[in-house]
Amino acid sequence: MKKLNIMLSATVGFIGVAMAGQAAAAPSCGSNTGEAATGEPIIVGGIHGNAAPGDFSASTDAAAAYFSCVNANGGINGRPIDYRVENDQWNPELASQAAAKLVDDAGAVALVGNGSFMEMAVNAGTYAKANVMVMASACAISECFESSNIVSTNQGPLPSNLGATQYAQEELGATNVACIGLNIPNNGPWSCQPSIDLMKARGGDGSMALLNPGAPDVNSALLESIANGADTILMNLPAGLAIAVLKAAEEQDLRDSYNWIAPTPLYDLSVPEALGEYWDGKVWVNAELAPFHLNGADAQNWLAVMDSYANPNDPRDTFAQSGYLSARFFTDTMLAMDPAEVGDRAKVTDAIKSIKGLTSDLMCGPYYVGDSDFHMPNHAGYMLQMVGGGFKVVRDCYEFDSAYFEPHIALEKKLGLR
Amino acid sequence: MKTKYINWLIYAVLMVVVVTWLGWGKPNKIIGMFFVSGLAVGSLYALGGIGLVVLFRATGVLNFANGAAGAAGVMTAWQFGQWGVWAPLTWAACILVALLISLFYGRMIAPLLAWREPVVKAVATLGFALIILGLVSFLWIDDPRSISLPTDKIGIKLLGLRVTATRMIVFLSTIGLVIAIYLFLGQTKIGLNMRALANDRDLSALIGIPILKVETIAWGLSGLIAGFTGLMFGDLIRLEPTVITFMVIPSIAAAICGRLDNLVVVLVGGLSMGVIESLLTLSPVLKGARPIAPFVIASLVLLWSQRGTQLTFGGRD
Repeated sequence: MKKLNIMLSATVGFIGVAMAGQAAAAPSCGSNTGEAATGEPIIVGGIHGNAAPGDFSASTDAAAAYFSCVNANGGINGRPIDYRVENDQWNPELASQAAAKLVDDAGAVALVGNGSFMEMAVNAGTYAKANVMVMASACAISECFESSNIVSTNQGPLPSNLGATQYAQEELGATNVACIGLNIPNNGPWSCQPSIDLMKARGGDGSMALLNPGAPDVNSALLESIANGADTILMNLPAGLAIAVLKAAEEQDLRDSYNWIAPTPLYDLSVPEALGEYWDGKVWVNAELAPFHLNGADAQNWLAVMDSYANPNDPRDTFAQSGYLSARFFTDTMLAMDPAEVGDRAKVTDAIKSIKGLTSDLMCGPYYVGDSDFHMPNHAGYMLQMVGGGFKVVRDCYEFDSAYFEPHIALEKKLGLR
Repeated sequence: MKTKYINWLIYAVLMVVVVTWLGWGKPNKIIGMFFVSGLAVGSLYALGGIGLVVLFRATGVLNFANGAAGAAGVMTAWQFGQWGVWAPLTWAACILVALLISLFYGRMIAPLLAWREPVVKAVATLGFALIILGLVSFLWIDDPRSISLPTDKIGIKLLGLRVTATRMIVFLSTIGLVIAIYLFLGQTKIGLNMRALANDRDLSALIGIPILKVETIAWGLSGLIAGFTGLMFGDLIRLEPTVITFMVIPSIAAAICGRLDNLVVVLVGGLSMGVIESLLTLSPVLKGARPIAPFVIASLVLLWSQRGTQLTFGGRD
């Protein structure tokens, strides 16, 4: 049944179509020698959350696929990557144990592809103390972007909200945005506030309505947004909850009375079908990485890697793109190091912190790390409109405008990226 | 009898005070919208609570697996819908799956625990709920989904809020169920047997009440209500198995209001919880406390109604 469902999934179906024309290309990974690495393994860790109510394992699945490809193509100067993945099951205790197992017991030189709501909040201090870098891929909470030893290829909700709000203000005439978010301090309020600040800075207004993650009644958050005088509703929620909000709005026939915008989680090709024709052309979604149908060279390579080295059932979604990117950037960094130092955690950490200017057509801007207490290299994206049972790009790569990014821009200038 | 009327009077006064306090300074239209929205959610709490009380009154089992049975049912309905099965058949499948799950537990597992304490019976159903949830999550991976009923398209405006026919069906079904079950338990032989069983299983067996048959009917009724509730939850709340499974928790709060016995109080308690939870949104200070509202209300009702009297979770222990 599971396989059947995955086959039925519109997402996979769509990607399958996209892949049909691309799968012929052989994947390109690491040194591309075509020979399997046989030397002493380099231990690399990864932690994801996979338990009800959500599965964030797509990022580590994609990273694992890329590392398998690297190992089949010479590894890191002949040494294979021993990629060990743990599941925190959204449990703080397990998250802490997973980090201890990988960092303290296994001696991982770095962690790559992490995806969780939980583990970054629990382990940020551990990573800093152990001087190990985490090149994460599926981050959604403040600790992931405001810590010294975690950097992610995905944007998380804060920039993606800003991108959606900025587009709505500039193109849809939004003057008052209500951000419906989760009542989790390091997620909802943290990621909604900069969008409200952006609206106020541009002469508009904003508010936030917070939902308990398990709350059955999303109607109240919607009514609260309306009561606050909003003309635009920003659904800063996981896809399932955002769909519930839209269904509640449909029940009230509110479609044409408001602008409906969302960050990346709603960019899922199952969503248009789940919402139905009522919402066709009426929902705008920000995408933090390249939309699936834009077939850049690296996007094609991601799919080729997934085809050749991932489980056929592994998702081909934004988190998988992000996991692939983290693994690729990590591998490129390791290959540029002195081969004698790739097993030394401190040297690997220094090398990762020195990353600057790595590019991919999956990302709008350059990827960098830098030695700072915050990391958010990805703060530009695409704007999409949900139309015709899919999504179309209505604004190509654009940088998000917010005072929040002032320290990031200063760092980019310091690194010579601007 | 006098105490009963006083209790209802105190309830009515308290509700007026709470609604006035939470809505103070807000336009009537806004209060009306939140009030109606709360009634809609509250009717779902009450519906779930009634399913629990029906079973508890007949078997002494507080069934935590009701939500999971409904979740499995509605996910099956969604799957059939994806396969292009005629919509009414998918709804029937939802109720059938929940019925079968309920009957399976009632016939295969519950008799093995018949002589254990009510707490043990309840915890066993919680374990069963987690097994069902695990299976459902395995079969249907986390993905955005929704299910709609034709009645979603029909609606009327009530106090500024559009109320769909589906919500009215839930509301009216809840009231209808209370009346039907009241009559069933009071006027039919099976109902009498159920009440006898709930009162004393040993004595009921001694006087020749067909225990297995009566309990099977109770589990079947509970399964039917769980299936209907699951379908309504999937449509009106979210088509997420975890959320539907754990909707049983506020439903239990509603059932506790009626001390797992009084269906009218379960109905009123469920509706009141929904309304207060919704109106709390209007309070900048208290809106963060919305998720605990049903349990605070249930605790207060319990404390008030139990003043030195009977146990609610009692029985053999």
